[in-house]
Amino acid sequence: MLVFIFLITLMAALCSPIHAADPKSQITVGTQEVGLTAGYILPHLLKGEGKSKTEQSGLAFMPSWMMTVTDPVGDGWYRGQVSFGGEMVYIQFQEPFLTHGVGFTPKIKYTFSAQDRIRPYAEFAGGPFWTDLAGKIPEQSGQFNFILTAGFGVSYFLTDRAALNAGYRFQHISNAHTSRSNVGLNSSLPYAGFSFYY
Amino acid sequence: MKETPSLRWTVIGCCGLIVTLTTGCARWIEIRATADSSQEPSVQVIARNEQVPLVLDDVDITRNGSPQNLSLETEQRVLGTLRKTGLFSRLGGTDSAEPPASEKFIRARLLFDEAIDSHAGDAAWKGIVISASMFILTPFIPLEYDYAAHVTLELERWDGQVKRYESQSAGTAHYQLFGTTPLMIDELKGHVTESCLTALLQQMVLDTTFYAASSAPVLDRPIRSVSVNSKRSTLTPVSISTSSGK
Repeated sequence: MLVFIFLITLMAALCSPIHAADPKSQITVGTQEVGLTAGYILPHLLKGEGKSKTEQSGLAFMPSWMMTVTDPVGDGWYRGQVSFGGEMVYIQFQEPFLTHGVGFTPKIKYTFSAQDRIRPYAEFAGGPFWTDLAGKIPEQSGQFNFILTAGFGVSYFLTDRAALNAGYRFQHISNAHTSRSNVGLNSSLPYAGFSFYY
Repeated sequence: MKETPSLRWTVIGCCGLIVTLTTGCARWIEIRATADSSQEPSVQVIARNEQVPLVLDDVDITRNGSPQNLSLETEQRVLGTLRKTGLFSRLGGTDSAEPPASEKFIRARLLFDEAIDSHAGDAAWKGIVISASMFILTPFIPLEYDYAAHVTLELERWDGQVKRYESQSAGTAHYQLFGTTPLMIDELKGHVTESCLTALLQQMVLDTTFYAASSAPVLDRPIRSVSVNSKRSTLTPVSISTSSGK
């Protein structure tokens, strides 16, 4: 459903008469980005003895803040900028039980800025994550966990200050052996969202 | 009443958060000024009938060696600084018409060479460390942004004689992650540019008599000096075929 909404929004944006006023020159050192991303997590079951068998799934919401710390570097296709920031993660697990998870993850993002309006990016985030799903499933016993996220996506700049984002993330939730059972939960997260730059 | 450990830790936590946010927003600018740029440019008083107009003929801006589009802001700033000297009766920008050759006027050419180093690799590594520490190390790890400018001003008198002035200045913005803002970079560039222009004008006002209307007669056939530089092209030559149609 979210993918469908995103595609409709993207089509509308592509057909709109708005033209970006060269966003390439607008994002400089010190430019901040606030965004909201939503997606749906899908379980990744790993085969083998002692691997995760829980098929967790549910909605994920991720408001974020980023700070651009470099001007564009590089001259080729890899030309881009580095930004750092933080992201709140809220997951409403709908399967196997209706439970919740919330976390805070510092985040690093590299945005390829060789193109004007369409900019791919790669991101990595990790931090503490609390969930009451743990304890109800055999894989995780403690409610205090960590969440690690790596993924890639594309930003489409509607104006030089606003962009639509879509991408994919791989998520891993485990407790770093802070409690006895620590098999870990892996999931895929296709997502869509928007960002404002100021 | 004995205070509970949780209250103590809450107070310590709040104090830590306030200190982190306050010191994590710090920023300061360090300018390495040229020797003669610390003073305001001397304002020269010359008789009104001795003043001649100045026309900015060309402004070349390069950044890290790459040519840039003309910046009206830079042009206005240079003209504003020249106006302060009081040497010229009127100042015209690159878009203003030149006075007729029979009139005495000064033609100016400006080369503004900027060098920017945002310490991208350094910022990336420091950012990783700051992020890994959950931003606790933000106040202790400053980031840097370097900006340097080299300005060359060529002033050509109506009789073709040319005076050339040069100045350079550099500065560094030191900032913590939470204190980063594009305004800080603008401030740094503003200070460095001001320092350069001040140094430039300090040199220029020493030649006040050179620009006085009575310093030289108008030539019947004024000599227009043109700088011709043969630059080595870094571009790959493109073959162009043309057909005359005959």
